[in-house]
Amino acid sequence: METRDECLISTTESFTESLCPECLQRIPAQRVVQEDAVYMVKHCPEHGDYQTLLWRGSPQWESWLRPTIPTPPIECFTQVERGCPFDCGLCREHYKTTCTALLEITQRCNLNCRVCFANAGTELDEPSLAVIEGWYKKVLAASGPVNIQLSGGEPTLRDDLPEIVELGRGLGFNFIQLNTNGLRLAEDPVLVSRLKKAGLSSVFLQFDGTEDSIYQTIRGRKLLGLKAKAIENCAQQEMGVVLVPTLIPGINTHNIGGILKFALEKHPAVRGVHFQPVSYFGRILKEPLDSDRITLPEVIQAIEEQTDGLIKVGNLKPHNGRCSFSGNFIRQRDGSLKPIVNNSCCNGPERADELARKTRTFVARQWSGAETLKIQPLSTQPSNSWDNLIQQLKIYAFSISGMAFQDVWNLDIERLKNCCIHVVSPEGKLIPFCAYNLTDKFGHSIYRRER
Amino acid sequence: MNNNQKQTSKTPWKCGKCGGELQRGAVKASYLGNDFVVEELKCLSCGLVLITEDLALGKMFEVEQSLEDK
Repeated sequence: METRDECLISTTESFTESLCPECLQRIPAQRVVQEDAVYMVKHCPEHGDYQTLLWRGSPQWESWLRPTIPTPPIECFTQVERGCPFDCGLCREHYKTTCTALLEITQRCNLNCRVCFANAGTELDEPSLAVIEGWYKKVLAASGPVNIQLSGGEPTLRDDLPEIVELGRGLGFNFIQLNTNGLRLAEDPVLVSRLKKAGLSSVFLQFDGTEDSIYQTIRGRKLLGLKAKAIENCAQQEMGVVLVPTLIPGINTHNIGGILKFALEKHPAVRGVHFQPVSYFGRILKEPLDSDRITLPEVIQAIEEQTDGLIKVGNLKPHNGRCSFSGNFIRQRDGSLKPIVNNSCCNGPERADELARKTRTFVARQWSGAETLKIQPLSTQPSNSWDNLIQQLKIYAFSISGMAFQDVWNLDIERLKNCCIHVVSPEGKLIPFCAYNLTDKFGHSIYRRER
Repeated sequence: MNNNQKQTSKTPWKCGKCGGELQRGAVKASYLGNDFVVEELKCLSCGLVLITEDLALGKMFEVEQSLEDK
């Protein structure tokens, strides 16, 4: 039987499909190379032409491949009727099984941010524990015990958050992460302790920079002190923390190196940094300009330039195609970072379910807390014992990664089909992250409930 | 080499290949392009290294998993 490698084919062709930013109709699109940049060019018969920056600079677009052989979900909750992205649930035509399932357990928030795809500040009934249990079970049916991220809104505003974590662990999910702004974790160390006891593995901490002016601009408040306190409280509980900066040109892209240096100062409590270039959702009065975007190769270049070469471009590799990159390192005694050579990727097509499995395993291992109390003094064992090596690989490992979300202007349906981050909708369907958060330029959503 | 004996520093291991004496020493281990130096029993004469089944399925496997990327 011949196996057709659809992802491999799609990534090397310039034609794809996208949506019209005004009417959300599916329209043909083309990836066009102009000098060192790649653009998405598309035409809506009703609303005209659009051109959006996808990629700028080196590593080159052509080199950034991680071809996969599609594997459909274990159980599909929707039928293919209208075609991608209108049948999400997941459908049989989705290429990849789940790496991480997101559960939005509240829509309330204690911040009012300039960039946010959660519906902060609205008053809606929150899902009960019984509803959340149903969501967990849907994830198990569709994808098995994958990694879970509890998100919102701001999930720490729910007083029963430890019970929600405990419920998930009891159902067999081994890695549960909290996506948070960290305010409550900073103010309430008892909550951090309760979350640890409930089985929370990791904190995905919104962290936009090491300068308060950055928080003032993006989040409307000075927050650096609170972020540091949240990290300290997590460190006391041996809870792994991942710093998650939303990168916005002109606001914090100069601070990429500063963020990495800060993360290394707080290592091993901070397990890594996960960069998210800004994308545009909600009501956008003016189409984002090229200068409003920072593309993955620009993030990668900035990492090398702003860390004075501590991290090299060549140590960062494609992960989920053109959506992401990652690099893994062992911090040395002299402060340098030894890259862990990554030969397990990029040597030909991989099965999508195998890649998703590797991602889940890696994330669960790397982003969980390092048990620093178990470090044995070097004097009690040879420095080159297996035990010492295992400890070093676990405790001193540090990861740098990034993921570029898609918005309605740069949406590439081939990329969307390859998505392994899935949001559980209120009805218990699994929707690829970028499809769930996608809106037209007026803020109308395909999947997210209108407020 | 006799794999039934428990590995301790006092055990007088003999090399199954050349009969030489085994002694703890630095051994280079490689996996997925990453090199490490670990201490293991190795033959003073021919360099053959003793890797017990417990080690292969235990700590060595744990190291391998740590190096497998996403």
